[in-house]
Amino acid sequence: MSDYKTTVGIEVHAELKTKTKIFSNSINGYGTTANSNVNVIDLGYPGTLPTLNEEVVNQAIKAALVLNCEINKNMHFDRKNYFYPDNPKNYQITQARTPIGVNGYVEIDLGDRKKKIRIHDIHIEEDTCKSIHHNNHSLLDFNRAGVPLVEIVTEADMNSSEEAVLYLEKLRELLLYADISDCKIEEGSMRCDCNVSISKTEKLGTKTEVKNIGSISNVGVAIEKEVARQKELLEKGETFHEETRRFDDKTNQTILMRVKETGNDYRYFPEPDIPFVRLTDEMIERVKKTIPMLAEERRTNYLNRGISLLNANKIIQNRNLSDYLNKFLDTDINLVIASNLLLGDIQFYLNKHNTTIDKTKLTDDKFIDIVKKLDEGKINNKVFKDIIDDIMEKDTTVDEIISEKGIKIISDPNAILEVIRDILAKNEASVKDYKAGNTRASKFLMGQIMKETKGSLSPEIVNKLLIEELDK
Amino acid sequence: MKDKLTKEEVLHVSRLARVGISEEEIEKYQVELKKLLDEVDKIKEVKNYDEELLIAPYDHDTVLRKDESGEMLSNEEIMKNVPASIGNFVEVPVMIND
Amino acid sequence: MTKYLDLSIQQINELLKKKEIKPIDLVNECFERIENSDSNSFITLNKEEAIKRAHELENKEVDNLLFGLPIAVKDNIVTKNLRTTCASKILENFIPIYDAEVVRKINEKNMIIIGKTNMDEFAMGSTSQTSYFGVPLNPWNKTRVPGGSSGGSASCVSNRLAFLSLGSDTGGSIRQPSSYCGIVGMKPTYGRVSRYGLIAFASSLDQIGPMTRNVYENALLLNAISGHDDKDLTSSYREVEDYTRMIGEDVKGMKIAIPNYLVSDIVSSEVKNKLMEIVELLREAGVTVDFIDIEYLDKAVTLYQIIAMGEASSNLARFDGIRYGYSVENPQSADELYMKTRQEGFGKEVKRRIMVGSYLLSGENAKIYYDKALRIRDDMRKAFKDAFKKYDLIIGPVSTTVAYSLGEGLDDPLKTFMDDVLVIPVNMAGFPGMSVPMGFNKEHMPIGLHIIGDDFEEALMYKLAAFIEKKLNLNLDPRGGK
Repeated sequence: MSDYKTTVGIEVHAELKTKTKIFSNSINGYGTTANSNVNVIDLGYPGTLPTLNEEVVNQAIKAALVLNCEINKNMHFDRKNYFYPDNPKNYQITQARTPIGVNGYVEIDLGDRKKKIRIHDIHIEEDTCKSIHHNNHSLLDFNRAGVPLVEIVTEADMNSSEEAVLYLEKLRELLLYADISDCKIEEGSMRCDCNVSISKTEKLGTKTEVKNIGSISNVGVAIEKEVARQKELLEKGETFHEETRRFDDKTNQTILMRVKETGNDYRYFPEPDIPFVRLTDEMIERVKKTIPMLAEERRTNYLNRGISLLNANKIIQNRNLSDYLNKFLDTDINLVIASNLLLGDIQFYLNKHNTTIDKTKLTDDKFIDIVKKLDEGKINNKVFKDIIDDIMEKDTTVDEIISEKGIKIISDPNAILEVIRDILAKNEASVKDYKAGNTRASKFLMGQIMKETKGSLSPEIVNKLLIEELDK
Repeated sequence: MKDKLTKEEVLHVSRLARVGISEEEIEKYQVELKKLLDEVDKIKEVKNYDEELLIAPYDHDTVLRKDESGEMLSNEEIMKNVPASIGNFVEVPVMIND
Repeated sequence: MTKYLDLSIQQINELLKKKEIKPIDLVNECFERIENSDSNSFITLNKEEAIKRAHELENKEVDNLLFGLPIAVKDNIVTKNLRTTCASKILENFIPIYDAEVVRKINEKNMIIIGKTNMDEFAMGSTSQTSYFGVPLNPWNKTRVPGGSSGGSASCVSNRLAFLSLGSDTGGSIRQPSSYCGIVGMKPTYGRVSRYGLIAFASSLDQIGPMTRNVYENALLLNAISGHDDKDLTSSYREVEDYTRMIGEDVKGMKIAIPNYLVSDIVSSEVKNKLMEIVELLREAGVTVDFIDIEYLDKAVTLYQIIAMGEASSNLARFDGIRYGYSVENPQSADELYMKTRQEGFGKEVKRRIMVGSYLLSGENAKIYYDKALRIRDDMRKAFKDAFKKYDLIIGPVSTTVAYSLGEGLDDPLKTFMDDVLVIPVNMAGFPGMSVPMGFNKEHMPIGLHIIGDDFEEALMYKLAAFIEKKLNLNLDPRGGK
């Protein structure tokens, strides 16, 4: 049973971040009122012609660069002809013969080794209308019609659901960090279609395409379910046709959408309305310079500063937090503490208030001050929890907030020692227990000290001093 | 050489172009379409030609548009010629899959 | 009765400037003539708006030669708030919500659109008989076709129902009806006039152009509609010249070629003989006229069919009954919506062409037919370019015969293509081509001379056309010609 080899190829559609649409100057943004960002070109009105948005070409060059593709400097567009109500002209302007990028790759980390997933091509195309259903009819919103997309097509290089997930996470990270797309799968700005087949021989088996998967982790689930389904059929000696299936996240099953017509006939031909687009070396160089620090470099920087791989990855998954943390890469503050703060209480606060750091009163100076105070043991995490609301909402300094709250900061080791000695004097029995080898007694003493100081001391420092004192 | 297309061939092109044809018309199209196809088949006689394509007689390359927004339509304008609509939406009289 | 439509544009301009007449006088005369004519040149009249516009212009300065002139616009050029049908049932009730760029330009020149002219459905045809709204008539003989597809634009100018008109030319659709109706028609260089707002038939071939009573007025109208448009990526950045500037210059020393194919057996002897008279006339004036071979001309119709039908099948896919136009009632599926809407909305010529076009692009055919056609097309353009290295202009007949009888060849799907065999190569290669009257046959039907120029050589073409026009001094008013 287990000797089937799984083969997966993935097509990703990512919406490009631009102000306007690809072939018209109406606004690229479909979160707004239905059919509010539409002009005659988006409606496919008779007589209209496309123009080509400069920023779309720049973004696509950027995408080709970060995916290590060769760039087609003399590119053209093609028409893909198919009738569908969400397709306003009943042809889609895309690139079939001269995609902007070819022969690229994305490297994924399998733990013990790295693997290159080859990119067959990346091409530019327009999005269709969004359709919604109503009383057995469909309703069209043209806000999405003409939104710029890149389609990124891999070779069938992935051999497990894990590899597919790693590829998608890496791809998402690249597109997100190069500011190419906001890659929100839930909102449809990144869409994944997986071609899955299994075979016991070198010859690939019949593939099925799974569409409409709502998250990267579900891509993994969908591939596993599809592999299992295909195995079951093959084991029963049944054959099946190439077909398109949809992933249902409620039942975790893939569901048949349609059996593919033999040789999908898209009647491609060169788009006569758009002359050749020549990309010069200068253009490509100019775009290259706009690529911000990518995730891989960020990860290396974080690890070099002592942040764990787990936390580094968590930070990188949240572009805003990573950008914020990067502001302090050139400072000597403790980035481990900084990253813990960001991933912990700060993210919790931001989520709770549904806001972003730049909209709070957390200045860079305040952040540095807090990290230093924590690092030096002047405050601990509990204190930070008590003051975070004020930190985020008030213009006052950290010191002012602390004193307003009536929190005593005991930072002089002698003063701490005094408290410790006082507690030890009051709990002679426990000290005896400790000396007799019952190390648990120190925990009790620790608790007493923290209680006495209302938790304002750094537990690490207190613990260190306490043990020193007990071991005297 | 046959002098007309088969019925199936006619129905195939009718479906490709999404142009319905009635039973009575099929026979007529079998002959007419065949005449046109025979004519375009003459291209097969041309042997000498180079590989360069002329997609359209452009006299320049594409000049890209600045990413700046322009005027958009009001819902009233959008709906002016729409056969069926509901609220802000254009209605398709049937249900479609995504 | 006033007869402003018999005066030249310069004469009208003088009268307007002197305030002896007002634009409304011109508009009234046009509508009076249109309403008293049975020519069926128009699909939709713009009477109310035109009158309103004429009154508005009364307070404006007469700032150019085209000021206040009534103009007719082919019904495949979109006009905001004015019905635009493409002579098709599928757009019978279509009211555009934007103006074509050429419409913006003629409004800018303060011309007045009086109506939308009749044509072959979606410009597919060479007789205007495929119109859903009935055929427009040839003013020289009402039993003859006016030519097509811009038949209404030719017939209304020839019949003196409008001063000027706009047509479109994909494979001869300006030049051939101009020849059949005895007027001057220019298909400019591809990219000279913006196609934004021209309902596309074959995008790589389509071009809008002027159709007028004489050469000078044609050049004037080309001046008005030419120029780069950011909305059309194929529109040229070349500066617009004054196309009238060479009119009246001596033609002595010009070098002209006639491709042998254009005087071969496919051309009727009466047309050929008329062309030979012109050759004599030119040689007497000191013009060199040589007969040369241009390769691939005999394949132009085949290339044209593949490219034009292929592109058309895609361009006309948008007519599906969802966003505009005719829509079948209560379809049970998306396919039924498409199939029935298009079955009922399109006429038979259009249906034939989009079916064949779809087939030619499907599967392997795209390579066998379409790609190969684009390759030969490139070679054909190069062959023309070689000829233009030695010759200033190329001439020939526009059409193999004069206008023929209504109904003739209607059931022959090839006839309409063969009518355009002499003019199609120009669209394939992108060059400018024009028709200028060179005389009549013995039934007194007009015959047009075809002048072909190198890219953007329209001014030179007008120079030759104006010389011939002056030399022949034909009476081109069909009402006075009888």
